[in-house]
Amino acid sequence: MKVLVPIKRVIDAYVKVRVKSDQSGVETQNVKMSMNPFDEIAVEEAVRLKEAGKVSEILIVSIGDKSTQETIRTALALGGDRAIHVQSDDALEPLSVAKCLQAVIKNENPHLILMGKQAIDDDCNQTGQMLAALCDLPQATFASNIELNDSEATVTSEVDGGLLTVKVSLPAVVTTDLRLNEPRYVSLPNIMKAKRKPLEEVTIESLGVTLKQHQKVLKVTEPPKREAGIKVDGVDALLDKLRNEAKVIG
Amino acid sequence: MQNIDKVQALAQRLPELEIRTSQEYCQQYGKDWLRLYEPNPCAVAFVRSTQECAELVRVARELALPLVPSGGRTGLSGGATALHQELVVSCEKLNQIRDYNEIDEVVTCAAGTITANLQAFAREQGLFFPISLASDGSSQIGGNIATNAGGIRVLRYGLTRQYVAGLTVVTGTGEIVQLGRGLVKNACGYDLRQLFIGSEGTLGFITEAQIKLTRPPSATSVLLLAVNSIDAVMQTFCRYKKRLSLIAFEYFCDLALAKVTEDKQIKAPFEAASPYYVLIEFEHGSESDFELALSLFEESMDVGEVQDGIVSQSEQQANELWFYRESISEVLASYHPYKNDIAVKPSLVPELMQQLNLVIAEHYPLSEVVWFGHIGDGNCHLNILKPQTMSANEFKQNCDKASHLIFAQVQKLGGSISAEHGIGLLKRNYLQYGRTSYEIDCFGDIKRLFDPDNILNPGKLIG
Repeated sequence: MKVLVPIKRVIDAYVKVRVKSDQSGVETQNVKMSMNPFDEIAVEEAVRLKEAGKVSEILIVSIGDKSTQETIRTALALGGDRAIHVQSDDALEPLSVAKCLQAVIKNENPHLILMGKQAIDDDCNQTGQMLAALCDLPQATFASNIELNDSEATVTSEVDGGLLTVKVSLPAVVTTDLRLNEPRYVSLPNIMKAKRKPLEEVTIESLGVTLKQHQKVLKVTEPPKREAGIKVDGVDALLDKLRNEAKVIG
Repeated sequence: MQNIDKVQALAQRLPELEIRTSQEYCQQYGKDWLRLYEPNPCAVAFVRSTQECAELVRVARELALPLVPSGGRTGLSGGATALHQELVVSCEKLNQIRDYNEIDEVVTCAAGTITANLQAFAREQGLFFPISLASDGSSQIGGNIATNAGGIRVLRYGLTRQYVAGLTVVTGTGEIVQLGRGLVKNACGYDLRQLFIGSEGTLGFITEAQIKLTRPPSATSVLLLAVNSIDAVMQTFCRYKKRLSLIAFEYFCDLALAKVTEDKQIKAPFEAASPYYVLIEFEHGSESDFELALSLFEESMDVGEVQDGIVSQSEQQANELWFYRESISEVLASYHPYKNDIAVKPSLVPELMQQLNLVIAEHYPLSEVVWFGHIGDGNCHLNILKPQTMSANEFKQNCDKASHLIFAQVQKLGGSISAEHGIGLLKRNYLQYGRTSYEIDCFGDIKRLFDPDNILNPGKLIG
C-alpha cells in the first residue's frame, strides 16, 4: 500500500513571531523553521503503519522554495521512502495547494493520503478537505486513532464529550490531530541515510496546474499591546481604582 | 547580651527597618538548597536600600551582631545558612531594575533582582543575559555575583564575573563603596570589584550591580549522542569544539539516564544503552553549520566513538533533550546523594574519573555512582547514592572519610574541590585541598580588611 504524506515548512512553534515593519507579512528571515507539527504526526503515523507491515511505501510531498528540501529531508529521515518537491517561491492558499496535490495524486495513485489537519502558520484547516473534494475521495478528519486494512480505514476523532468513529473506503484522505501519536526523534544515522533517498523536483507548470489567486493579504498587524499592571498601596486605593477608573463596582 | 536582644536594640535604633522574628520566617530564611543543616537564625531583616543596609551594618557592628547576607537561598554549599542565632539580612525587597543605557548596554539592578527577571529584561532590549541556572526563577543577581555563578552556558559565555561592570557594596564597617562603576576600561590600580565577586558574603553586602548585556545567540540546535567511552567523550568534545560554536557540552552516564527515565516515566532517547551520553548545543548561523555538525557526527561514527545520535528538529525537541540532562539533580535528590562539584582541566577528566572510581569502589562498594556535568568546562558532578541498607548516619561518616581521599586526588591533578557551588560551610574544612596555605592566609587578611570585626557571614568560606 502506498501512502502519500504532504508536509509544510512553517515557523517553529516556539518562536515568537514578528510582524514585518511594512505589515506585508511576518518575518521569516533568520527564523527557526520546522515541519508543521501536525504533519510530523502524519509522517510518524505513516512510519508506524509501515513498521506494522500495512504500508509498503511512504511518499513525501511538499511545496515551497529551496529551503523546503531541508524539511523534506527530515521527513525522509523519519522514515519516508522518497519525496517530491514542488517548487514555488510564493505562499499558496489552501485551494492552490490542494490542486497541486491533486495533480501529484493523479500521477502516483496512493491508497491513502495522510496529512496534518492544519498548518500552524495560517491555521486554515482547509487543504485536506478541499483535496478530498477535488479528487472525489472519502475523507476522515482530526484522526486520533487509525485502523487500516486493505480496503478500508477506521478513523476515530475526538469530539465534544466523546469519540466519533467513521469508516471510509480506500483510497481516502485522512487528516491527523495532536493526540494520534508522539513523533520520534530524528536519528543522525537516519539523516545521513535520508541524503541518499530519491527526491524529485517538479514545477507547478510541469504538473499541468494553473493557479488563480483568490485572495490578497492587505496587511498583517500585531495584536494590541497589553498595558503593564500597577501596584496599589492598599485596599482603599484598590477600591478607589475599581470604582472610579475601571468602573467595575458601584 | 543574647543576639535576639541585640536585634531588639537594632530595631529601636532603626525603627523603619522590617524585622521578622517568627519561627516560620527563621526556618525559611535560615537555610539554602543544601538542606543539610538545621536553620537557627534569631531574626530576619529586609533591607530596602543601600543606605538602609549600611546603617544596619554600622549598628550591628557596634552591637557585635553577626549577619548572614541572603539572596534567593538556592546555593548548594550552605553559604547562606544561619545556624548560630545570626540575623539574616535579605535583599529580596531590594529588587528594582533601575536604569538601562542602550549605548553602554549596561543595566543597573538591585541585588534582589531575580535572575529570570533580568533575563527577560535583556530580551526586551533585544539583548541577552547569558547566566542561566537550574534556579533561574528564584536565584538573585546579588547571590549570583557573591558565588560567581556558572551554569549551563559557561562554555560559550563564561561565568557571572564576565558580566559585572560595576558593584555597589556595603563593607563590614558600613562603608558604601562603588566599584568598577560600569567602565569598560579602568587601569587605575587594583580592581577591588573582582574580590567581591565570589566572596560568598564574607567581605560585604552587594546591594546593586551594573550588568553588561550581550548579543543573543542565533538559532541553535541540540544533539544528543550515545558515546562508547569517557575517552570518546573527550574526543567528541575536541572534534566539535574545533569546528562549531558550542553553547554547551554536557555529559551524563547511563545510570543517570536510567534514573531519569524511570523517575519521570519518559522514554529513553535511544534503543540501545551506551556508557555515556553527550548533549551538545551549538549555534548555526547558516545551513552549512548544520551540515558540518552532521559530517562531524559521521566522522565520530566512522572511528567508533559514538554509536547513535539524535538531533532536535524543533525548539520543543531541544527542550525535551535538555530535560534528560536537567532532571538528573532533582531525580537523584530522593537517593540522598553525597554530591561533589569538582573540576580539572578538561583533558584530565578521564584520569580523574578513573582515579576516583577506584577510591569509590574501595570505600563505597555498595553505592551506585552517578557521573554527570559540564564536561566541556572540566566540571563533574559526582554523586554517590546512599545504599538503601545503610543508615543516613553511617553513610555520612563514610562520606566524610572519603572526602579527604577524593579531594586529595583532585588536588593531585591540580583541580578544584568546588567548581561552581562555592565553599560555604560544606567545604570549609577542605579548603586546603584547593588553596595553598599562603592563599588561605591572604584570604584572612583580605577578610579583616573589609570586615575587621568578623560580623559578615562568620564561619563561611574561611574558618
